[in-house]
Amino acid sequence: MKTIKLGPVLQLEQSSAVPVVVFRATASEILSIARIERADRREDGRLVGFQRPQIQAHINEIQDYLDEDEAPILPNAIVLGFCGGVSIKSDVLVVDGGSVPPGWVVDGQQRLTAATRTQNQDFPLLVSAFLCRSVAELHKQFILINSTRPLPRDLIYELMPGVEGLPPRLSDRTAAALLVEALNYREGSPLKGMIKQHTNRAGVIKDTLIQRVLMASLSDGALSAWRDDTSLLLGPGYAMVANFFSALRQVFADDWEGHTPKTSRLVHGVGLVAMGYVMDALAFDREARSKDDFVAGLEPLVGRTAFRSGEWEFTDQRRLWNTLQNTGADYQLLATHLVSLVRRPRGLRLASDR
Amino acid sequence: MKFLFADTADTVDPAFDFERTRSPRQRRVHDDDHYPHEHLIRAPYDGILLSRAAFSDHRRSGKYGAARSMRFRREGARTFLRYPEAEFPGSIVMGDCGAFSYRDADAPLYTVDDTLSFYADGGFTHGCSVDHLIFDFFTDNREPSEEARRRQEITLTLAADFYRTSVALGKRFTPMGAIQGWSPASMADAAVDLVKMGYRSLALGGMARSPTDDIELALKAINERLGASKVAIHVLGFGKVEDAPRLKRLGVTSFDTTSPLLRAFKDDRQNYFYADGNRLGHYTAVRIPQAADDRHARASAKARTVGQEELIRLERIALGAVRAYASGEGELEQTVDRIIDYVSVVLWKDKKSEKSNTAEFAKLRSIYLRSLGERPWERCDCRVCHELGVEALIFRSTNHNKRRGFHNLAVFHSLLKSQAKVSP
Ligand SMILES: [Zn+2]
Repeated sequence: MKTIKLGPVLQLEQSSAVPVVVFRATASEILSIARIERADRREDGRLVGFQRPQIQAHINEIQDYLDEDEAPILPNAIVLGFCGGVSIKSDVLVVDGGSVPPGWVVDGQQRLTAATRTQNQDFPLLVSAFLCRSVAELHKQFILINSTRPLPRDLIYELMPGVEGLPPRLSDRTAAALLVEALNYREGSPLKGMIKQHTNRAGVIKDTLIQRVLMASLSDGALSAWRDDTSLLLGPGYAMVANFFSALRQVFADDWEGHTPKTSRLVHGVGLVAMGYVMDALAFDREARSKDDFVAGLEPLVGRTAFRSGEWEFTDQRRLWNTLQNTGADYQLLATHLVSLVRRPRGLRLASDR
Repeated sequence: MKFLFADTADTVDPAFDFERTRSPRQRRVHDDDHYPHEHLIRAPYDGILLSRAAFSDHRRSGKYGAARSMRFRREGARTFLRYPEAEFPGSIVMGDCGAFSYRDADAPLYTVDDTLSFYADGGFTHGCSVDHLIFDFFTDNREPSEEARRRQEITLTLAADFYRTSVALGKRFTPMGAIQGWSPASMADAAVDLVKMGYRSLALGGMARSPTDDIELALKAINERLGASKVAIHVLGFGKVEDAPRLKRLGVTSFDTTSPLLRAFKDDRQNYFYADGNRLGHYTAVRIPQAADDRHARASAKARTVGQEELIRLERIALGAVRAYASGEGELEQTVDRIIDYVSVVLWKDKKSEKSNTAEFAKLRSIYLRSLGERPWERCDCRVCHELGVEALIFRSTNHNKRRGFHNLAVFHSLLKSQAKVSP
């Protein structure tokens, strides 16, 4: 095979032992000088390669971004490692074309694969290459480069609403993050300052719990009506949620004010998730939107709850107030119970109703 | 005889991109998806059976998750399934408790009261009483096990309670008495008891995995004991769809199954239906699993030391060949060879010898020659075949396979209708 020349390269003087260069190349040019080799064992037990398997969903996301965004950028470099088979001659990277490309893709394999599939095959990628003396050195660099820690999730959720140019259809996660921000910081919000976020450690209610409540309503409940339009979501959508929580605070003031998840199950995940379904039920059955609507709708629950003491009487079991936990089963147990109290199944009077 | 489809969240994504084998990014599960009656030109069934087992609650999780299950209770089945009475006049929405899902429990998971609220919320037209599955089936006069007797007693006691209480749901709701028994005679006894309670509609349970001959024996015994009383009989979970015409001769008024859909991806060979005159015929779909996503394909390729990039290359060639052949460009034999090139990597079985693997691929080759050679997708007028062409005959993504299931439902249903016309 013939020799491949790429460049011009910019040589960085970082280390005398491991030369580092940067240059631009297309995806197919990169694959002509380097391969993606996934970690595996040969039959004799020898470790070869080091990349993790392709993550199809991740590649799809990047490809969509490259294909669909008006001005896509990929500013971080594809990192290649070499142990021989390559030299730098006056600003040009010269690669021996053996039977296989001599380099390895050390970082950016998902981006690279996505770039090979994008419509714009000439999309220029930033490449950063280093020249090692041994494979061991290469493995060490691979580990160093790939052991960075991902951003904490709560910070990502908090950053989401501020990101410009979100896709036309919000994901339920993004929509929920937008609403959480509004609920936590808007003047007059019944949950103002109460939601524990990356930047508000003093909050009582975990943001992921409120998100869970909102996401259920966005996917299958009342909020779904506004989920595809940010201004509607933050207008009437926000208003409905805020009115519901205002009503909840008023009707259940004793269970709410000054309480933590430990002292009252109402501000605990199980109470909040169940009440989220109550909000959807009232919005669906009574078309409740205003605070007064919700106050009236919550009335049937008064005197029939055990958020801070006593026990719940469910149709098939009794539970002490503080035994309800943050589990899917308990969420549904309490939700079904509360919802059945605020609404009557269509056309049904049961013998057990007295 | 009415055919009810037993739904377990089986939908397809109408915007699925077959070229790239993926859904659009903004797709919303359920809301954007299509049920069979939405996707096909005609509803491929006369009604839908929904089991409580499909829905999540505090006792277990079902195919429909928590938020969706809560939504079902709010909206009711017609809205939830987008199966309005106005558009599908006379259609049935039947409910049952999914006895199979709690078969190992001491008693049914549900009470009569909460089952009736479920039926009321769902706006069901028909609903089965709460029952407990009996596994035994003896055709001789053997004594039943204590457990079988106990379970029949539970089923009958709950049925009496259910019938009385179901009056609350009004005239638009038809309560159905569930029959459980260990023999034709004991099932007939149960049927008589249920009719005495007031039921005019019965559901034969516990026979989902039974041979048609056994079901026939049970139905004959029931008919004999019921004599002239006018009773509708439904057979729950009928698996042998090829035998459906036999049910009609035994006075069955309706049955449910999910089998035509499941066969599309659970049956290795008979997974694409067609009407062979008055009977059900089959073709075999061509397996081209997704090189990048299919776990088995990857494992199999790894065992054969074929790298991921090479695997993707072989996959692309095989897919391209099939599509070209369908559009009239390629040659049949060569197309099938390209499929076998790929398949012999991804379907290689390590546990079997080289010889038996080779024999298997030779067999597949002749099967695929028939499937592609006879071009059955061109003879079917269902939306799936019409829209997708040969893609309907490719065993690949869930969207491929479930669409083929929809096609199977359509073929099965129209065959059932035409058989009804032929036989008196
Ligand atoms: Zn078809």
